[in-house]
Amino acid sequence: MSEDEPVSDGGTASEPVPKTETVETEEEHPLEWDEPDNNDLAPEERSSVSKRPEKQDDRKLVTGDATFTADQARRFPQLVHAKVLRSEIPNGRVVDIDTTDAEAMDGVHAVLTPDSPTVPDGKYTSAGQSYPEPSPWDMQVLTDRVRYVGDPIAAVAAEDTETAAAAVEAIDVDYEEYDYVLDPEVAFSEDAPQLFGDDDVENKIVGHDYSRNRMSHIEGRLGDVEEAYDREDVHVHETSWETIRQSHANVEPHTTIAYTDEDDRQVLITSTQVPNHTRRQLAHLFDIPIRDIRVKKPRVGGGFGGKQAMVVEPIPLALTLATDRPVMYEATREEEFYAMRSRHPMQVRARSAVTEDGTIEALELYALSNTGAYGSHGMTVAGNVGAKPLPLYSKVPRIHFEADIVHTNVPQTGAMRGYGAPQGTLALEGHLDEVARDLDLDPIEIRQDHYMEIGDLDEIAGMMGGEGAERRIRSCGLDECVKRGKEAIGWDDIDQPEADHLHRGIGVALSAQGTGVAGDELGAAQIMMNEDGSFHLQVGGVDIGTGADTAFVQIAAEELGCDERAIIPKTSDTDNTPFDYGAYASSTTYISGRAVKKAASDARDRILEWASRMLEEPVDALETESGEVYSTVSGDSVTFEEIGYESVYGDETREHILGKGSFSTEESPPPFAAQFADVTVDERTGEFEVNKLVVAVDCGVAINPGMAEGQIEGANHMGYEMAVTEGITVDEDGHVEVESYDDYGFRTASESPPIESILVETHEPTGPFGAKSVAEVPTNTVPPALSNAIREAVGVRITEMPITAEKIRTKLDDTTT
Amino acid sequence: MSVPGPGTAVRPTFRTTMTTKLTINGTQTTVESADTDLATALRSAGYTGVKCGCDGGECGASTVLVDGAPEMACGMATREAAGANIQTIEGLGSQDDLHPIQEAFVDHFAVQCGFCIPGMILEAKALLAENPDPTETEVRKALDDHICRCTGYTKPVAAILDAADRVANRQVATDGGTR
Repeated sequence: MSEDEPVSDGGTASEPVPKTETVETEEEHPLEWDEPDNNDLAPEERSSVSKRPEKQDDRKLVTGDATFTADQARRFPQLVHAKVLRSEIPNGRVVDIDTTDAEAMDGVHAVLTPDSPTVPDGKYTSAGQSYPEPSPWDMQVLTDRVRYVGDPIAAVAAEDTETAAAAVEAIDVDYEEYDYVLDPEVAFSEDAPQLFGDDDVENKIVGHDYSRNRMSHIEGRLGDVEEAYDREDVHVHETSWETIRQSHANVEPHTTIAYTDEDDRQVLITSTQVPNHTRRQLAHLFDIPIRDIRVKKPRVGGGFGGKQAMVVEPIPLALTLATDRPVMYEATREEEFYAMRSRHPMQVRARSAVTEDGTIEALELYALSNTGAYGSHGMTVAGNVGAKPLPLYSKVPRIHFEADIVHTNVPQTGAMRGYGAPQGTLALEGHLDEVARDLDLDPIEIRQDHYMEIGDLDEIAGMMGGEGAERRIRSCGLDECVKRGKEAIGWDDIDQPEADHLHRGIGVALSAQGTGVAGDELGAAQIMMNEDGSFHLQVGGVDIGTGADTAFVQIAAEELGCDERAIIPKTSDTDNTPFDYGAYASSTTYISGRAVKKAASDARDRILEWASRMLEEPVDALETESGEVYSTVSGDSVTFEEIGYESVYGDETREHILGKGSFSTEESPPPFAAQFADVTVDERTGEFEVNKLVVAVDCGVAINPGMAEGQIEGANHMGYEMAVTEGITVDEDGHVEVESYDDYGFRTASESPPIESILVETHEPTGPFGAKSVAEVPTNTVPPALSNAIREAVGVRITEMPITAEKIRTKLDDTTT
Repeated sequence: MSVPGPGTAVRPTFRTTMTTKLTINGTQTTVESADTDLATALRSAGYTGVKCGCDGGECGASTVLVDGAPEMACGMATREAAGANIQTIEGLGSQDDLHPIQEAFVDHFAVQCGFCIPGMILEAKALLAENPDPTETEVRKALDDHICRCTGYTKPVAAILDAADRVANRQVATDGGTR
């Protein structure tokens, strides 16, 4: 199933859809891709791509000149501040709410409750996905039916945050408390407290069964796995794994400033990954025409999926409509942990049938996902537990994947870097390691015998998406990733520590991701030439700190044949930049980047036309380089600046040189990662030290290798956190126990292992200048690699994250007694 | 102090204005300071390179130098800083004339979202003033008060180690007269 494909149904439960026998023709998925001549450049032919020009926004960021949302508050002298009253109980109903005291306080401008006129009463999802969202419409901006500790009940706008907080404190709430359920297995049973009645949800998702708190059930199969299990020549292994509730922990909290402009339109300056989706969702929710809403993204202090959601924007908008004042809402750090979003914690089972000689005949994953109180990204994330990791082993003939997504009375989850792939990768890569050990096979060889190679028609990624969802593999650097990763970690030659109680081991894990959502993406760009030969590049694509603006500029500079400094990027403002789905699913460089390339190519055509006129030479004799057009015949040249002036101020004819490009695709080529973890374990205590993490990544051509390395290292650090920390924990009353970074167990600089990133270049013909995605795939691999390393070092297997000294010691004790 | 509104025992909502004189980046400035922490006062005065990423004292994003020592401004009462020399990121280099530490962060791609970076750079400045040739372990220890979600610390650590050389070279080249 593709990540964001609408699969709402009419209320019927899902049926497994057996794959129909279709003969895919070469025409539908040709190996030879018809790419533009200039798309495949040898390193020496490149002027900007795969170079390391400065990141566009770095100088303003290192000097403090850059502005994030909260930094723009000073522009609004009339600004008031929002605070939110949130539920103190995990399940129940607000039977009485008294706002009298709060409203009477000096400095309070508005106190809103679910019934207030400017508060929408419709159902929606906060998931920032395409339309109609493949997430259920099950939540409200403010609610009197609360389903977790943190559900928003009332909102206040006041002169300052202290007053707003005091007003929130002054609101009296009486609850009727219901029984609640925190454990997804219990929630899924017949007699558990039920979070939703059938009438409570619109846009229901495939496989829902609210009588059992099931938001969705999905299933996909390729071949008949049961047939393989019945065979006598196979070994059947089954393993179970558990992942943490990880926080995005973006250092800039979710922040929005909402105001009404002089044209009576609603403007939101907001820390979002999805400006266009947010505009549409606000329009639907508030019944305001799309044309009357403007969403602007300033610099964003990290997203990681946490801002691929309309988490806070409706509240300041409702307050600005009520007060006629600009309103800023900035989540507290505590709210970030208990009331924003997190990674879906899951239990994942893996099962396989493998012959004695190591041929995998069947492979299967089942996931039980705890989506929390609401269903944002619930089905699509769970779908990717199978749809991202399993295709890596495209040679396996029988595949089955199934997932149940279940509600509990804990904070709702959402999109997070990796989007289901980390949960699936832990199970799959840990499982294969166990199989290899049990059958005395080389853990790398069993993978290599089954993993993708160029030319494969991958049917697994599309096995839940119906006909035509298959994809051809046209770039694959897995062999090289494995080879270089092994060398860097010292796979073949590790020294054991001298002390007898210390044991060293190396673990390996591989991973594949996608590049954008196949068939459900759109990016667009426009480029305008100035007289001096510079360009304004307008892109809807969203830079949330990744360097996307820089990648856009490099792609445009390469295409146009000019210096990066001649290009001024303007991005992510729904009034002034073309449409874009936003920064998610590892799509930005590939989708928005291709749109930029098309726009630049379009502009270049016009530049050549003008140069042809000025040089009196045919267009096909002309080339661009370093901001000039030159003739390959005469050697004569004209600068972009001369063309810029002539095109705008020429005597005979005039034209503003503009280029535009819009791009969507059915393709989603996988990037690959080979992860290695080197660990030393103390068998007396179970304490372990990660000596080094090495990760080699095939992201096609890295548009900017410096930025790509940064993505890889950051992703590995986040993966390390998934392996060794508790994440967001919830106590037995349904209260989140993590209130601060200190509680969260964030791994600081001196607590983090050295991370070595290796870029393995391949050429992806469908990508801009050969690029595919990079930022998600290295998130997936550290937990299984570390679990495998510990297994190698001391022989015990930790399947339930986080890996702790205590768990290792307990297992060691079990094996010795 | 004004009278609290009815029903609010918690906090007064309007206060008489109090001001404090601070020396910020070498310039004498008067900031509003009633009950506020230094981060709020500095941000209100336009020094928005001082960031706030937590509910106080944990993320390091508000780090400034107070008489050369790194302090999280969000955890310091404005009044406490009266008379001290405060340096914010705005007082280091400018975009066309970066301080060598800022330059090293740019050259090493140590900046992603950049929210935590002003704090890290000021921390590095204090570290290098005290320890001009730190080891990697010392650099990592110095960054322990700074939450960076983007980089995994690899590139910021490399940038600071390189910045140590740049600062040392700059001092030789300009008779010790650099910033």
